[in-house]
Amino acid sequence: MTSPTLAGTGTLLRFAVRRDRVRLPIWVLAGAVLMATQSSSNQRFYRTPESLVAYRASAGSNAASIAFSGPPVGLDNVAGTIAFEISSPLVLLAVLMAMFTTARHTRADEEAGRTELLRSVQLGRHAPLLAATVLSAAACAVLGVAIAAAAALSGLPVAGSVLLGVATASVGLVFTGVTAVCAQLSGVTRGVYGLVGALLGISFVVRAIGDSNGGGLSWLSPIGWAQATHPWSDDRWWPLLLPLAIAPALFVLARRLLDRRDSGAGLLQPRPGAATAPRGLSTPLGLAWRLHRGTVLAWGAGVTLLGFVYGGLGESVETLLGDNPDAQMFFRGDSTAELIDSYLGGTLRITALLVAAYAVSATCRSRTEETSGRAESVLATGVSRLRWLGSHLTVALIGSTGLLLLDGLATGTSRALATGDAGELPRLVGAAVAYAPAVWVVAGLAAVLIGLVPSAAVTTAWIVFAGLLVITLFAEGFDWPAWVSDLSPLAQTPTVPAEQWQATPLLALGGLAVVLVAAGLAAFRRRDLATG
Amino acid sequence: MSSAISVSGLVKRFGRTRALDGLDLDVRAGEVHGFLGPNGSGKSTTIRVLLGLLRADAGAVQLLGGDPWRDAVALHRRLAYVPGDVTLWPTISGGEVIDLLSRLRGGVDPRRRAELLERFDLDPRKKARTYSKGNRQKVALVAALASDVELLVLDEPTSGLDPIMEATFQSCIQDVRAQGRTVLLSSHILAEAEALCDRVSIIRLGCTVQSGTLADLRHLTRTSVTAETARPVTGLADLPGVRGLQATDRRVSFDVDSDHLEGAVRHLTDAGLRSLASAPPTLEELFLRQYGDELAAAGDVGLTGSRA
Repeated sequence: MTSPTLAGTGTLLRFAVRRDRVRLPIWVLAGAVLMATQSSSNQRFYRTPESLVAYRASAGSNAASIAFSGPPVGLDNVAGTIAFEISSPLVLLAVLMAMFTTARHTRADEEAGRTELLRSVQLGRHAPLLAATVLSAAACAVLGVAIAAAAALSGLPVAGSVLLGVATASVGLVFTGVTAVCAQLSGVTRGVYGLVGALLGISFVVRAIGDSNGGGLSWLSPIGWAQATHPWSDDRWWPLLLPLAIAPALFVLARRLLDRRDSGAGLLQPRPGAATAPRGLSTPLGLAWRLHRGTVLAWGAGVTLLGFVYGGLGESVETLLGDNPDAQMFFRGDSTAELIDSYLGGTLRITALLVAAYAVSATCRSRTEETSGRAESVLATGVSRLRWLGSHLTVALIGSTGLLLLDGLATGTSRALATGDAGELPRLVGAAVAYAPAVWVVAGLAAVLIGLVPSAAVTTAWIVFAGLLVITLFAEGFDWPAWVSDLSPLAQTPTVPAEQWQATPLLALGGLAVVLVAAGLAAFRRRDLATG
Repeated sequence: MSSAISVSGLVKRFGRTRALDGLDLDVRAGEVHGFLGPNGSGKSTTIRVLLGLLRADAGAVQLLGGDPWRDAVALHRRLAYVPGDVTLWPTISGGEVIDLLSRLRGGVDPRRRAELLERFDLDPRKKARTYSKGNRQKVALVAALASDVELLVLDEPTSGLDPIMEATFQSCIQDVRAQGRTVLLSSHILAEAEALCDRVSIIRLGCTVQSGTLADLRHLTRTSVTAETARPVTGLADLPGVRGLQATDRRVSFDVDSDHLEGAVRHLTDAGLRSLASAPPTLEELFLRQYGDELAAAGDVGLTGSRA
């Protein structure tokens, strides 16, 4: 080793590779699968010049889809539409992989005290930082290769495929550096995620504004640099000089910052909490809300954004799908209005599926509280089992209902603005909230599992959700027998506005949810609390 | 004197293992009761049954005159609990946790809370994530001690505390005893039990092996004696209950079973006793004697052999 502060980097790197031998291949595989699926589905959808013209006229000129995807270039051939649609998801994947990998081997190890143990042996001060960034950079490179290979093998031109892979990897590289710097700033891993997440959000928004008004603002965002390469149309390599210069600079900065702080601490002082509890933190429900609050608000922001985007794309659906027989297979309808309603009904169902995931995770939160031993402290005070689990369920049920309401409000508002018909708002709010009883059934099922089979509850609940996901996404497209779809509470809900309102299934689902929640609570009252 | 806790024949099974196998425990109102046993002997399981967190498989359990499973909520308002391994909510500050737990128990006395924070030197504004193990323990202790309750159930409450805080804890428990409240103190720190407890119960493999005041228990074991006499002592080794005799001319030292102490001392007096030093057995020795066979079986003969 050239510098004593880097002693042991090689050993540490090999150890890090071993620790991540399962995680990293999953990230890389996910990138390749995303690329391959998008490529094959677009090549099937937009076979004809007419369909590409329709695509340019709709998605390619819609502010919402440009803000979501990127600059609308090269949309006169299929490969261009693929680059347009897949580059944002791929960049997001690369950034998340870089963030989790870098933070895991720097701040998370330091927070858990593992770094201290390692530093006490012959290991240089900068070795963990260098090992983590090298690992993350290598992972980004492999991800880039996998994306390029998947694109080329699915029949796209090789030059553009390689460029898309390298461009995606370059954003991962920049965020490896960003994470390395943030890991010096914040003393806790969650704080690092918060800082990196905020910078990612800013990069995305800056790029979205820049691409929407064409004012060049996108050049301030690492995501913008990658998308400025225009794979499969202009095939420009020079924008990648920017990330190539910035990433090493960020690493040098992180190394400087590391020398200016104590081991185990961050440069930013943690904000102290309140010395006394606010009035709201006096009941089990108050505590449950406090614990779930951040998650609910984050989900609320995500669902609202999704609602606006889906609602905003409604108008393009008409042009996009009007003449496309393949797309019409998915969204059935004779008239334009029916087509749009079918599209909206489909998107509301997808969002309801996501809200069901929230309901599962919020219900399972109670199980985390139990196994961590924190439930024991609360249940040893004057709080009954019923009130304790009931509080978590209350937040899960009201929270998921609120998310559906937000989805309806966002979709409805953007539709009302686009069409000038204020009646769209109540219509779509009603359609979204109609999924509430179905989501409650999912939460109730998780509650029953927690009451009856506590140690297997979380896994089983997610398996149930995975089944729901498969049914919702594939049952119709693959013409599975009707009884399969009937298993899903979401499928029992009429897809308003495409279908007619019906009270009976909603009442039945609501009744079932009540029974499930009551059974879960009753079983939880009778069993031993998980110990230690 | 009435019983705050009375347990008899308590059995608790986890699958095929019997964690508690006919355990008895009697804690009188107003006393500090030591609940002693090595790791894994069933102390925490017993406490969790007493708190209604686990359901007993067999046996009779009474806590403050009620059934800990059926009357859990009403009983919990009258007691405070400090778990052995305190886990807190990472994003909630220590002060907020203290307030929350006290309020859930029925209210907090702000003056006592402030006093305890001072005594334990605890910063209530730090988020629980940033507390060390000892500081998390302090948060749970302050929350328990600040509540106005009849019974304190403390499961190894001083693990992770430094010696100064350990002393603070002991003085807090003395205050609690002076107020006539009851304490069940599970521990394996024997010096702590020795300093604080009126009575102790020693458990092993899920059942009670000894119970009583420290004086009672000392009767069951040996006193070590060192003496100087005017004339050389003879025949001491033949007396019943005397072991480990070491004699150099006029100076002897030996261990003697407590119920044979009188005979041994009389024998020394006959030889013209000049000076006598006797040490009552420490709790440590009581403990080691209870578990002596276990240690011997584990091949640790030196430790038991030095005393036996």
